[in-house]
Amino acid sequence: MTGNGKDTTGERLNLRSRISELAQVPPWIERLAARHTIPATTQFAMDLCLEEVLSNIVQHGYSNDPNHPIVVQFTNATEDYYMFVVEDEAPPFNPVVAPVLPAAGSPDEVQVGGNGIRLLRRFADTLEYQARPTGNRLTIGFSVAGSPIAKD
Amino acid sequence: MPISTEDLEGGITRVILEGRLDIEGAAAVDLRMNVIAGTKKAVIVDLQNVSFLGSMGLRALVAPARAIKGRGGRIVIFGPNELVEKVLKTSGVDTMIPIHHELQNAIAALQ
Repeated sequence: MTGNGKDTTGERLNLRSRISELAQVPPWIERLAARHTIPATTQFAMDLCLEEVLSNIVQHGYSNDPNHPIVVQFTNATEDYYMFVVEDEAPPFNPVVAPVLPAAGSPDEVQVGGNGIRLLRRFADTLEYQARPTGNRLTIGFSVAGSPIAKD
Repeated sequence: MPISTEDLEGGITRVILEGRLDIEGAAAVDLRMNVIAGTKKAVIVDLQNVSFLGSMGLRALVAPARAIKGRGGRIVIFGPNELVEKVLKTSGVDTMIPIHHELQNAIAALQ
């Protein structure tokens, strides 16, 4: 892990593996967005991707077992490119290559669940996974200029 | 997450959601949505004031929609913002629950 401090006002957020902890994420992203003048569309994408990734880690990676660490590190790589590095100590899981439920072929086939990875891949500009000896590291990139949202 | 309902003419129920339909928001409205799904047959889900929608929020829409349609009813979504609509379309939910941006069109779709 990159650290176990309690700093949630800076560029790093330290969480425990509880769904209730995820409530810290949106206000943290709001502060980052204000500090770095991140556009609302990119902020939405960050918010969405982190919710999907972090809820997946808590619910599936740690099977809702509380008190395991999750660290989210924010990096402003260039003026219009931002990255979040998410590290956990859960069993290996690579969302970059994990299968996604097939897209709905008819209205009745719409899945109740399983959209998290699809949304992550759609709203993030880059995803990079690294297995670590003790867990997982996922780097999620957002480009203001190249955002799939901005381009639509 | 605030949720309220309004009865419109023609037996239509307008369900108004406000705020973030994230994990917490979905948990907050699940019970009420399930009650609506079990009792109403023509439902407009008003998302005009929903600022965020995640996959758990999608579940809070899809499961009731399936129940309503399973009872022969109809359900539509009204007024999502651009980003919320993108989430709906990325997940394919728009093929199950039609999206309308004019209230008159949403009402007409249920009649």
